[in-house]
Amino acid sequence: MAVFLQSLISGILIGGVYALIGIGLTLIFGVMRVINFAHGDILMVGMYLTYMIFTLLGIDPFVSVLITFPLMFLFGGFLQKVFINRVLDALAQNQILLTIGLGLIMSNTVMLIFTSDYKILSTSYSSATIKVGGGVSVSTPLLISFLITAAITAALYWFLLKTDTGQAIRATAQDRDAAQLMGINVKRMSIIAFGLGSALAGTAGALISPTYYIFPQVGSVFTLKAFVITVLGGMGSVVGATLGGVLIGITESMSAVYISSGWKDVVVFVLFLLVLLFKPSGLMGKSRT
Amino acid sequence: MNKTILKSASILLLLVGLLIIPRFVESPYALHMMILLFMSVAQGQSWNILGGYAGQHSVGHAAYFGVGAYTTMMLMHSKGIVPWVGVWAGMAAVIVVALIIGSICFRLRGPYFVLASIAVAEIMRLSAINLTPLTNGAEGILATEIPAFKIGATVVTDFVTKVPFYYIGLFLVLLTLGVTYWVQHSKLGYFFQAIREDQDAAHSLGINIALYKNIGLVISAVLTSLAGSFYGIYVGFVDPPTVLGLDVSVQIMLICIIGGMGTIWGPVLGSLILVPLSEALRSNMITDLLVKIGMVNAESKIGIFLKENLSHAHVLLYGILVVLVILFMPDGLMGFVKKLAARRKREAV
Repeated sequence: MAVFLQSLISGILIGGVYALIGIGLTLIFGVMRVINFAHGDILMVGMYLTYMIFTLLGIDPFVSVLITFPLMFLFGGFLQKVFINRVLDALAQNQILLTIGLGLIMSNTVMLIFTSDYKILSTSYSSATIKVGGGVSVSTPLLISFLITAAITAALYWFLLKTDTGQAIRATAQDRDAAQLMGINVKRMSIIAFGLGSALAGTAGALISPTYYIFPQVGSVFTLKAFVITVLGGMGSVVGATLGGVLIGITESMSAVYISSGWKDVVVFVLFLLVLLFKPSGLMGKSRT
Repeated sequence: MNKTILKSASILLLLVGLLIIPRFVESPYALHMMILLFMSVAQGQSWNILGGYAGQHSVGHAAYFGVGAYTTMMLMHSKGIVPWVGVWAGMAAVIVVALIIGSICFRLRGPYFVLASIAVAEIMRLSAINLTPLTNGAEGILATEIPAFKIGATVVTDFVTKVPFYYIGLFLVLLTLGVTYWVQHSKLGYFFQAIREDQDAAHSLGINIALYKNIGLVISAVLTSLAGSFYGIYVGFVDPPTVLGLDVSVQIMLICIIGGMGTIWGPVLGSLILVPLSEALRSNMITDLLVKIGMVNAESKIGIFLKENLSHAHVLLYGILVVLVILFMPDGLMGFVKKLAARRKREAV
């Protein structure tokens, strides 16, 4: 029972970060109908940014989120304005290829600058744990990152539901043309959405950097995970992505314990294919006609 | 009429030229470059049949490439089965895999199909890592020696030089080109293109969508597996990232995107650009050139940095090329050339 509880808790904790990644992707897809294949690479850029801030300025990765978030927002806005904006009306495969290309550029530029060595960001609490009782313990950095994730997610929900800009973003996601007719600056909303999506991915990168190896190719793992999460939750649904993230986190940690850690990703992909086959609209998605 | 004769004559001349090259060129490096070029054309052309003609943009072709390479290498390594028998086993395995993938992925369209094709290739890669007793896991399979090719008692070739590989590669190119030509000019090709242009319209005209998509996939997958087997034997080493990784799928697709999808010469053009460029970067030719023309001092910090790192940068180049092509010539180089030609014609009239 302790093992079960233990893996459930660590699944939920890592699932929080996954949710952040998934929300970013789903936001971008919702507003622009573009599947961002560079999502994991944007996360990787966030990781290296955090690593640099930590080694050069000595700022703790969890504190540096305050710097990473706005910087990654600007980076995402730039990507949207210069590249993505030009292919909004292009064929789906061209959009996908463009983002794959951008991802390759990011990961290989980082490789040129930092080489492909694995970097480790070790803080004083990197391997610390907190005993909960009943034989269950929780990794300190994971717990902190989960709390930050929860705070960011709550703030994001508030932003999307209560502010004018948030409502304009949701309106654009619902119906781009109608939103434009209502006087919403759709182009600006797209830039904000891509910026937010990138900021969320970058923040997720910052939050996992104390517990994860940092290397230029780390992105592709997370790109694939982000897809699984968003498809599971329903493309474009923020609530779905939140749920999907936690579900994938639990699935991973459960299958690592009860099957084997080598096969846990296979379990996730099989789950993904099953969802694609039997409920392509996802958990929270509305079936489109 | 004159034009077609000229065209066939130049193609024939090119073919004869390619056939006699190994007689005159002895440099193993030059032959190696040609073999890489052949492999790239074969890969691109195989993808082109499914992606270019039938419009199903698979980003999971590494699955077929890798299964072909792994099957041949595994049989040779553990059972001592000669590669030209193993190749058939590889093709058989790939047909099974392709039909399974097809039955899953072809229910989905557009971006969902792309995602599913990636997921399947990833499952293959992870399986190759985890099925250690079969595949030797992450370490991969190394073949130290390739058995000589014998018919009866006479040795046809012993694979010591690169020349036999050159001819196998050339054969693969001709095979894939031939199949593409056949597809383009047969009823099958018209069905493919109808599906690509408008799936629902094609369906209402009575085309069995699922059947023809699967036929396209099997043709494409078998040819890709041949290229994979050839790669395995030529390089003598396979491991999960080099034959089953996402990069492999992307590179296969890039050949067509850059050259031009759905055209016979697109993948050839794409390979002619990609292979020399990435090889020039990989072998530090560009750094040497920069040093030679005096732009960079070899001993300076920049020179050393370039020398150490530029050789890893060929994937960066892929990325830049893809972004430029998508933004400025979304139909690839072939489409760009055709557009230019059409404009000139219009201006002449």
